[in-house]
Amino acid sequence: MINNLNKSFDKHQAKVIPMYRKSKRGEWFFTGQHTGGWYSIIAGMKKLKYYMLRGFRKSLLLLGFAAVLAGCKKEDDLGDVNDIPGLGGDTWVKGPIDYWIYDSLTKPYNISVKYKWDQFELELNKNLVPPKEEKIIPVMDAVKKVWLNTYVAEAGELFIKKYCPKFFVLVGSPSFNTDGTITLGTAEGGRKVVLYVLNEFRIKSMPDYQPADSFNVKQMFHTIQHEFGHILHQNVMYTEDFKRISVGMYTANWNNVYDENARRDGFVTAYAMSAPDEDFVEMISMMLVEGKDGFDRIVNSIPPGTSANGITQAEAQSRLRQKEAIVVAYFKDVWNIDFYSLQSRARAAVEELIK
Amino acid sequence: MKRSLLYSLCIAVLFASCKKDDDYIFDRSPDERINEVLAEYQSTLVNAPHGWRGMIAPSGAQGGVFSFYFKFNNENRVEMFSDFDSLSSVTPMESSYRLKALQQPSLIFDTYSYVHVLADPDARQNGGAWGVGLGSDFEFAIEGIVGDTMKLIGRFNRSRAYLVKATQQEAQDYYDKKYGARTFDNFSKYLNYFKRIVTPEREYQVRVNQAAHSIHIEWVDGNDNLRKDTIGYTYTADGIAFVPAFYDGVRTITGLTEMTWDEASKKLSFKVNGAASHIVGTGTPIKPDPDAARRWWQTMVTNDEYWLSWEGFHKDGIDDYFGITQLHEYGFLMFWPKYGTSGGITYDLMAPVKFDGAQLYLEYGHAFRQPNFTDDGRAIFTWLGTLGAVTPADSAAVHGTRLQLMEAQGYYLVQTGPMVYDMVNAKDGLAWVTWEPFP
Repeated sequence: MINNLNKSFDKHQAKVIPMYRKSKRGEWFFTGQHTGGWYSIIAGMKKLKYYMLRGFRKSLLLLGFAAVLAGCKKEDDLGDVNDIPGLGGDTWVKGPIDYWIYDSLTKPYNISVKYKWDQFELELNKNLVPPKEEKIIPVMDAVKKVWLNTYVAEAGELFIKKYCPKFFVLVGSPSFNTDGTITLGTAEGGRKVVLYVLNEFRIKSMPDYQPADSFNVKQMFHTIQHEFGHILHQNVMYTEDFKRISVGMYTANWNNVYDENARRDGFVTAYAMSAPDEDFVEMISMMLVEGKDGFDRIVNSIPPGTSANGITQAEAQSRLRQKEAIVVAYFKDVWNIDFYSLQSRARAAVEELIK
Repeated sequence: MKRSLLYSLCIAVLFASCKKDDDYIFDRSPDERINEVLAEYQSTLVNAPHGWRGMIAPSGAQGGVFSFYFKFNNENRVEMFSDFDSLSSVTPMESSYRLKALQQPSLIFDTYSYVHVLADPDARQNGGAWGVGLGSDFEFAIEGIVGDTMKLIGRFNRSRAYLVKATQQEAQDYYDKKYGARTFDNFSKYLNYFKRIVTPEREYQVRVNQAAHSIHIEWVDGNDNLRKDTIGYTYTADGIAFVPAFYDGVRTITGLTEMTWDEASKKLSFKVNGAASHIVGTGTPIKPDPDAARRWWQTMVTNDEYWLSWEGFHKDGIDDYFGITQLHEYGFLMFWPKYGTSGGITYDLMAPVKFDGAQLYLEYGHAFRQPNFTDDGRAIFTWLGTLGAVTPADSAAVHGTRLQLMEAQGYYLVQTGPMVYDMVNAKDGLAWVTWEPFP
């Protein structure tokens, strides 16, 4: 009944970050169907040929061939095929933003950024708006400093050129979901990342910055680090030990859990409860965005006592520490990256923007 | 037989394929034609010597209209003004646009601008709904050019819009900041529930949605019938213009001109079709609904339920004037007709309902006699007594609310939805409360 009394939009629900990616199985299915289609056409043609040759008199046959040949003579004027509108993507007169993106992201890392409105890159049933022009360079510059530069410093240029998502789409507003949550970012297939709420992006160098704005800034990097984490483990899987730490506690009901309660169960965020993969990348992204001190604070903030699911304080803290250890080992063993060094760089870059 | 049928079919098909007449229905290929049309629109947009005036009627704004000024250039840039607020009326904003062949040739405003403010799903930007905004558009299909007018329709929310070539004077007025006065914004300083435009010929009751730029007008025609209409308005240099023009069955009114605001007497004066007119605030509806008060009361008697108000009385421009929402464990204000009987008198109960985290409860309440329903549609409330004891902490808010309800002139009830009533103090219309059923 108390929900009935709560009429106003609850801004705290903004914490939820649903994300999805295309399944590889889906793409295989499409390929299979495609081949099947070709087979059936070829099979059908064979049958037709057989009929024709079997009973036809030569004259008829010749007549037929003549007709076929005549039918083949085509003088379709296709018009000027070099000038099909929209072919090769949208074009416009380039401005300072376009040059900045090209010089800073496209040329060094082959990353393209779509900041001009294109409905077809986005959910087709949502009211969304494009970003404000003055937000684009600050956002992408921050992305470069916090995410690209730190990985380059730790893992080298080649690593980031090989694995980074190549396509960013920018949206000015949040994406409002029917369940009262808003989406802050999505990623598809390790290639495309959509960042929302750019119009609310304010860093301390901007005149109207307020400390509360750091929430949006951190959420944006949370999204990017989260998605890049997915790309990493989709290339080389983390060890099975990770899935055994919180076995049996993953739930589709995560969006009804507060972060504080998730932490009492040994999850770094509520969203980490949704699946082991999400748990793994939420660990990466929270540790990188909050830094070592911030993560320690999260672990130490777990209150004494037992959670609703029967997890004790010591158990919850131990689970977070075990997950941390596996993430650190994974970065070292698989990618030869010193995670703590990466962490201090990434956190320092975030603090540069908000403190 | 079967086989020969098949052969003849094959031959028929083969010969049919010989038809070499592949002329286009039109003179050239679709690509060539779309390129030509896009180029034509582009040059039309760019070559208008003084830019364009624009109108956008967001589909979610219920008749509301916003006016714009656009100046397009050949480098995909557009400079604009908008009458959305006082800042956008005088501050030019530059952003990006594109002409693109979608299902139709389309004009797309592709980075954030005044056009997008109306469509922003963040309701704080435009006073619309969360997730929708005002339901406006920034991707427009071009429906064609007639004379100096380019007709547009939004591709997502189907908002109507059009562009008209501006005259030199109109363009100059924007850059001279002549649209910054916005005298009509003072309308919000009328604190009465009912507002009327008073002209020498007739009075019109108006309800203005300033976020959506729309006006709901009610008037009484020559046959004493209540007539209603909702139209949009845009700001002009000296007042507002109605879009479309308002027609009351006798007269057409295109807008309010030469508008002035007198801060001392809080009065908005202007000309209507050349005649001096003004706006007054009042507590009396232009044509009271004589049954509304009784209908409101009887609804809950029949249902054996109660009306509730989330925020209590609005008074003198202040929401929750008596601070009733500040009560400990406050849930809502309740009015329950025929709640009980005392000494042979059936009484109604008004009380704050509280919520302790698990359930709703009543601590105390004020009993009223059955309202006195007047012939002109008012309900007058008479206090009978108090049930339980009002806690000292709640005393000020609760007694303030009780005394307000007892106001001697009583209340008009205005039905604003199937089950929503505004109860307006007939004295001056400065106090009112909204009643709705439990959700």
